Amino acid sequence: MDFIKSDSLVYEYSVYNEAEAKNEKLRALDGVSITIPEGQFVALLGHNGSGKSTFAKHINALLTPSEGVMYVRGMDTSDTKNTWQIRQSAGMVFQNPDNQLIATVVEEDIAFGPENLGIESSEIRSRVKNALLSVSMEEFRKSAPNLLSGGQKQRIAIAGILAMKPGCIVLDEPTAMLDPAGRSEVIETVMRLNRQEGITIVLITHYMEEAALADRVVVMEKGRVVMDDVPSRVFCEVERMKELRLDVPQATELMHSLNKKGFALNRQVLTVDEAVDELIRHGFKGDMNDTDIVREEKEYQKRENIIEVKELTHIYGRQSAFERVALKDVSLEIGRGEFIGLIGHTGSGKSTLIQHFNGLAKPDSGVVLVDGTNINADKRELASVRQKVGLVFQYPEHQLFEATVYKDVAFGPHNQGYSGEELDKLVRESLALVDIDESFYEKSPFELSGGQKRRVAIAGVLAMKPQVLVLDEPAAGLDPYSREEILGSISLMHKKLGITVVLVSHSMEDISRFADRILVMNGGRAEMFDTVKNVFLRTKRLEEIGLAAPQISLIMDRLCDKGIALPTDVYTVDEAADILSRVLR
Amino acid sequence: MNITIGQYYPVDSPIHRLDARTKIIAVLLYIIGLFAAGGAAGYALAFLLLAAAACLSNVPLRLMLSGLKGIIAIILFTVALNLFFTRQGNIVLQLGVLKITDFGILLCVKMAVRLVMLIVASSVLTLTTSPIELTVGMEYLLKPFKKIGVPAHEISMMMSIALRFIPTLIEELDKIKKAQTARGAVFDTGSIAQRAKSLLPLLVPLFVSAFRRADELAMAMEARCYRGDVNRTRMNEPKLCGVDYFTLVLFALFAAAAFLLRTRGL
Repeated sequence: MDFIKSDSLVYEYSVYNEAEAKNEKLRALDGVSITIPEGQFVALLGHNGSGKSTFAKHINALLTPSEGVMYVRGMDTSDTKNTWQIRQSAGMVFQNPDNQLIATVVEEDIAFGPENLGIESSEIRSRVKNALLSVSMEEFRKSAPNLLSGGQKQRIAIAGILAMKPGCIVLDEPTAMLDPAGRSEVIETVMRLNRQEGITIVLITHYMEEAALADRVVVMEKGRVVMDDVPSRVFCEVERMKELRLDVPQATELMHSLNKKGFALNRQVLTVDEAVDELIRHGFKGDMNDTDIVREEKEYQKRENIIEVKELTHIYGRQSAFERVALKDVSLEIGRGEFIGLIGHTGSGKSTLIQHFNGLAKPDSGVVLVDGTNINADKRELASVRQKVGLVFQYPEHQLFEATVYKDVAFGPHNQGYSGEELDKLVRESLALVDIDESFYEKSPFELSGGQKRRVAIAGVLAMKPQVLVLDEPAAGLDPYSREEILGSISLMHKKLGITVVLVSHSMEDISRFADRILVMNGGRAEMFDTVKNVFLRTKRLEEIGLAAPQISLIMDRLCDKGIALPTDVYTVDEAADILSRVLR
Repeated sequence: MNITIGQYYPVDSPIHRLDARTKIIAVLLYIIGLFAAGGAAGYALAFLLLAAAACLSNVPLRLMLSGLKGIIAIILFTVALNLFFTRQGNIVLQLGVLKITDFGILLCVKMAVRLVMLIVASSVLTLTTSPIELTVGMEYLLKPFKKIGVPAHEISMMMSIALRFIPTLIEELDKIKKAQTARGAVFDTGSIAQRAKSLLPLLVPLFVSAFRRADELAMAMEARCYRGDVNRTRMNEPKLCGVDYFTLVLFALFAAAAFLLRTRGL
C-alpha cells in the first residue's frame, strides 16, 4: 500500500518585496510527485532551500498544497477533517532537540501526543512505556529533558511520536545538531524502527553516510525531484551530486576517481566494506615494490609558541554535588601560524580548553601563556588577550544583534577603541575575507541565509585582528556546500594572513584536510597531539575512544589487514586514488 | 549546568503524595485559620497542625526555615511597628516619645508567630509539590471559572512551558555572554545608562532566540496534534482519594475551630 502519495504538488508562498512594495509569489515546491510505499526508508536530500523541508511539512499537514494533491494513507491533506488523523499517522521530528520537547519530565513529554488525542490514561501509560523501550530510554523516564544529551533528546522526541502509534515518521535533519555519538544513536533507532516495526521513514539529512543506509534516495533541487533511485545508483553519479551542491560518501568518491583513472571498478559502492571487497576483487599487482608508493613527506617544523598550556586543570562545580573534572593536567604548545585540528567527543573537555585560550575560563591549577604572557596573572591583561585570541563559538550567528551587518561586525573593534577610518577599514577587510560584499552592509543580519549569517559572525571576530582564531564547529548544521565555503575561507585566511587557527570539529575528514597537527581530547586529557599522519596511524585507538577515522583511512587500514602493504596514513580521496592507481592491477 | 526551579525537595512522603489541589486548599484554609486565631489555644492548635505536617513531609527543617530568610526584614518591620506604635495597654518601657506597652508586646509576638507559621506552611507546600504538579493543580482548581472566561488550561500550559524553557534560556544567556565577552564587551562597569546599553548585545540575541524557539515549539506541538483544551486527557489524571478528603476536612475543622476559639476569647 502507498503510504504517501503526492501528485504534481505545488507550494507557493508570498514574500513582501520592499523594493517594489508589493507581494511576490515564490514557489518552494514545483510539481513534486513522489509515492512512498508502506515500510520504505526514504532519504530526502537537497541543499538548503531545495524544498525538502517544505515537502516534509506537507506529509504532516503542517502545510497544504497550493496546487496538486498530497495523500497520506489515502487521506487528502487539504481536507481539514483529516488533519488530526494525518498528524497521528505521520509524526514529525525536527532538527533542534530542545525546541520540540514541551514537558519538564521525559514521560510527561512522551505522553503529550496521546493526551492531545484524548486517549484514556491507562492506555497512555502503556504506550509511554513501550515508546521508551523502543528508543532504549527506559531509565530516563523521570529525568528532566534539559539534562539529557542531544542524541537522547532526539530519541525522546522520536518516542513522543511513537506514542501516537504512527505508521510513518518524518525526520527533518534530526542529526544536524548532534555529535557523532548522538548521530549514530538516532540513526540506529530509526533503522531499528524501520526494520523491526515496519515504520515508514522519511529522513532529511545532510550526512551522506546516513542517506546511504536508506532503501531509496530522493534528491530535490529548486522545488523539484531531480533524482530518485536506490542509494548506490544515486551516489555513483558523483559529478551530478556535486553540481547539486551535495556530497557523496568517500568510498563512492574513491571508486569514481579510480574509474576516471581507467580502472574498471564497480562504481555503485557506498561503504568501507564494499569498497574493500571491490578493490580486492579487482586485484593488486603481484610484485608491489616500495617505490610504487613513495610519497612526499611533509616534515613538522617546530615554531615559536603563541599559546602554551602547562598542567591545566579545570573543575566545574567545585565542592558541590555536581563536581566534574573537565580538564586534567593538560599541557600543550601551539606554534605561531600553525593550523591545529581539535577533536574529541562531547564532554571530552575541548570546549572548556578553548575557553582557557582567551581567559573566558580560569584554570583551577596550571597556567596558560599567550605570546609568553600568563593571561591570568593580571586582570588588565585580559582585554589584550581577547584581542589576540579570537574565539568563534558554535552557531556564532546566534550572537548577532545589531541592526545592520556592518554595525555588528564593528562591535568588536569598537569595544577595543577603534573608530573612524581605522574601524571602517577593519570592518571592510574582515567582511571581504568571508566573501560578504558591500551590498550586504546595510542589511539586517537576520535577513541573511544560514551560511551568510555564520560568515558575518566570523567576520565579527576577525575584525578584532586576532593572531589566533579558535573556531568551535564552524560548519555545524550547514549543508555540504556551505560547509565547504566556510572551511574554504578559513583555510584561505590561514594561508593569506598567516593567522594561527585552532579548528574544533567532529569531522575527521574536515580536520585531516586542513590541519598541520591534531589534538585529540579524551576524558579531560590531551590524549594525542601529533601530526595528522601520526594520529591516523593509530586508527584503532581513535575508534576505541569513539572517534571514527575518515572512511578513506579505514579502507586503507582494512586493505592492510588483508595483507596488502599500503600506507595507512592516507586520509583524502585524491591521495588514496593516487596510491591505489599505482598498485592496482 | 544544573538549574532547579522552585524549591521542590524530591523525596517520598505522605505529604508529597497528597494531590496538589488538596495541598493548595489546605494551605488556604490554614492561612484563614491562622488569621482567625486570637488566643494561645488557637495558636497552639495551629502550631501542632503545622508541626505534624512538617514531620510527615520528610523535608529537613533547615529547608523549611530557609524560606524565612527572605522575609526576615518584613517580620522585623512589622514587629517594630506594632511594638512602638501600639497605644493600648499598660506602659512597660518609655524611651522618649516611644512607648512600649504590654499589649503591644503581646500583639507583636502574635504577629511574628503568625507570619513565621504562614511562611513555613507555604514552604511545606512548595517543598513537597513539584512546580509541574502545582500548575496542574491550579489548572484543575481554576476549571470551574472557565465559564466566566478564566483560561485555566492556557495558563497552566504557559506555566509549564516556561518551567521547561527557563533552564534552556539561562544556558543560552550564558553562552551569549561568553561570546560577546570574547568580542571585548564589558558588562559590569560604567554609568547606569552605559550598563543598560551594554545589555543590548545580550538581550537582543536572547529575545531572537526565544522567538525562534517559540516558533519551532509551536510547530512541534501542532505536529503532535495539540489543539488547545479540546478533547484532552492526561496520563496521570489527578485523583482525590481518602487521605485527600481527610486532610481537607482536618484543615476545614482547624479553620472553624480557630474561629470558635476566638469567639470564646481563647
